[in-house]
Amino acid sequence: MSDEPASLLLKRDREVFAAIADVLIPAAEGMPSATALGIEGEPMDHVLALRPELANDLLRGLRAAAGAPDGAAAAERLNREDPAAMGAIGLVASAAYYMQPQVWKLLGYPGQTHRPVRPEEEDDFRENDLLQPVIDRGPIYRPTPD
Amino acid sequence: MVIGAGASGAVATKTFAEAGLDVVCLEQGDWVSAREFFGGTPDWEVTSQKIWHPNPNVRGRADDYPIDTTESDVNPLMLAAVGGSTVIYTAHWHRFMPSDFRVRTLDGVADDWPFTYEDLAPYYDFMDVEMGISGLAGDPAYPETPPPPLPPFPIGKVGRKAAAGMNALGWHWWPAPLAIPSRPYRGRSQCARRGTCTQGCPEEAKASVDLTHWPGALKAGARLVTGAHVSRIETDRSGRATGAVYTDRSGNEHFQAGRTVVVCCNGVGTPRLLLNSHSARFPDGLANRSGMVGRNLMMHPYAAVVGYFEEDLESWLGPTGEAIHSLEFYETDTDRGFIRGAKWNAMPSGGPFGMRSAYGGKPLEDSWGINLHRTTAKRFGRSFEWGIIAEDLPDPENRVVLHETLRDGDGIAAPKIVYRNSENTRRLIDFHLARAKEAMEAAGAYEMTTTELMRDCGWHLMGTCRMGDDPQSSVVDEFGRCHDIPNLHIYDGSVFVTSSGFNPTATICAIALRSAMHLIEARGE
Repeated sequence: MSDEPASLLLKRDREVFAAIADVLIPAAEGMPSATALGIEGEPMDHVLALRPELANDLLRGLRAAAGAPDGAAAAERLNREDPAAMGAIGLVASAAYYMQPQVWKLLGYPGQTHRPVRPEEEDDFRENDLLQPVIDRGPIYRPTPD
Repeated sequence: MVIGAGASGAVATKTFAEAGLDVVCLEQGDWVSAREFFGGTPDWEVTSQKIWHPNPNVRGRADDYPIDTTESDVNPLMLAAVGGSTVIYTAHWHRFMPSDFRVRTLDGVADDWPFTYEDLAPYYDFMDVEMGISGLAGDPAYPETPPPPLPPFPIGKVGRKAAAGMNALGWHWWPAPLAIPSRPYRGRSQCARRGTCTQGCPEEAKASVDLTHWPGALKAGARLVTGAHVSRIETDRSGRATGAVYTDRSGNEHFQAGRTVVVCCNGVGTPRLLLNSHSARFPDGLANRSGMVGRNLMMHPYAAVVGYFEEDLESWLGPTGEAIHSLEFYETDTDRGFIRGAKWNAMPSGGPFGMRSAYGGKPLEDSWGINLHRTTAKRFGRSFEWGIIAEDLPDPENRVVLHETLRDGDGIAAPKIVYRNSENTRRLIDFHLARAKEAMEAAGAYEMTTTELMRDCGWHLMGTCRMGDDPQSSVVDEFGRCHDIPNLHIYDGSVFVTSSGFNPTATICAIALRSAMHLIEARGE
């Protein structure tokens, strides 16, 4: 996977991205902000390497927003004037955020782990006779007519 | 020769090769390696929305062809690869019910199929063993069937929550039958329950036909040509098919001869190929004397209710497809104001990332800021979906046609989809959504969201070369042989007379097997 899209990002682009990302993903509800996890660095590069088609919309948005007084103003203006660019910035920011181990830990998410069925898990649908009422009601299909 | 290496093409090719026939298969896609799948990495969600998106127009891989969907309520979904869409399907493995084959007789609409459930049952049984189905015999929604070869998956916290709601209402449910091994099976590993089935199985556990059928087909002597973009089927002066023209990845054109040609390109690709194969003798496309090639497209409109719960349901745990299903409202009840019905599937709700890309342009405070964290805390791990697969009835106006100007990378005319939901479908969905909300409420959901029609839901492509006894109103006979061209056959979902409310792959495979075995037995007649 090429890392080429990230090479297009200037220092100023990352600063604008960071400011907008913290508006989208602030520190709240016990969760850290986007920049507390440094997503404007390697995590953003990683997402762009996986999704290089997002780079054009993202860069266009970041450069159009560069003159805004702060992240909130930049986000509001972009969302109003260039929803595609705002969509790309939001997607990259949230994708990078929700890949971070610290976020997973706070959410109680182990990731899509290898967890094959153990023998003691089988037949859990029989617990408390859960399935029995369905069986007791009998057939519910219409047979093939003669 | 067989065109297309997906579910029906794989079953047909393996069946022919093991019977000693000389068979070659042309496939437009390539082999996909498990190393290309992201299910074992944190990258799985962000790649699922592009690289492994099921919509070819979004994915845009070199072997995909573009599809014009501007006049369709639903986007068709598929994958061009050895194994076809089974590489990225959720592997729901349901039989149709007996009534599905007698829709005209029982409900006075559409047409009966030229065979019955009982005719197809032995082929379902055979395919269950071939694929390694995990499930539980005794579902009261069916006549008695042999036990699947593997035990069902545990239904988990999602399934038990959903089942408790159904029991409170006295409604049907059953542990889901899946083409995914709950235990190791025939060299395939046990499912790891990563829940990333729709991005390809990194464990090589899921029963996709590149794993279940192609190794056996090749061992039996079948030849497989990948990267073969078939542009047309040729015919001779007598009107018989002689083979197919295809373009390879280098842009070179080839002709592959075949004494018998079997088309397995799915409900969009098959009519596209037949229509593109027009000639002076067949100006409306091959096998199209009835005018039914491309018509009666059915794609199963899909609606859903997501319920939110206080408890942790581990709703990222796989398999992706369904923990339990319900057929409580499957059969027709005319008091409901519509005919036919739908299958429900209780599905986990996936990872934490979700669909943030769709938020651009909406009020920021709705989806971002503190509400992002609140939404994630509410949804993630603590929700599940009752998905509703609505049976859409055949309508000649719902169709696949050739686009006037849009072309694929080889200059071959692309398909255009014209597809609108009927009034019956709208009523059906309204009724089922209302019942699904009741089911969620009975299960204890404190809040719900509803999707009335999911646009990216056209996994099931059916009906566009329908089978029947009458050449004036159907394209193929009950064994997939074209009425007009006796050595041209179609085995994929195109041949379906009606759509049922079920995921169709089990039925596609059973019909392909039945048709292939009939062709083998009929040789020399």
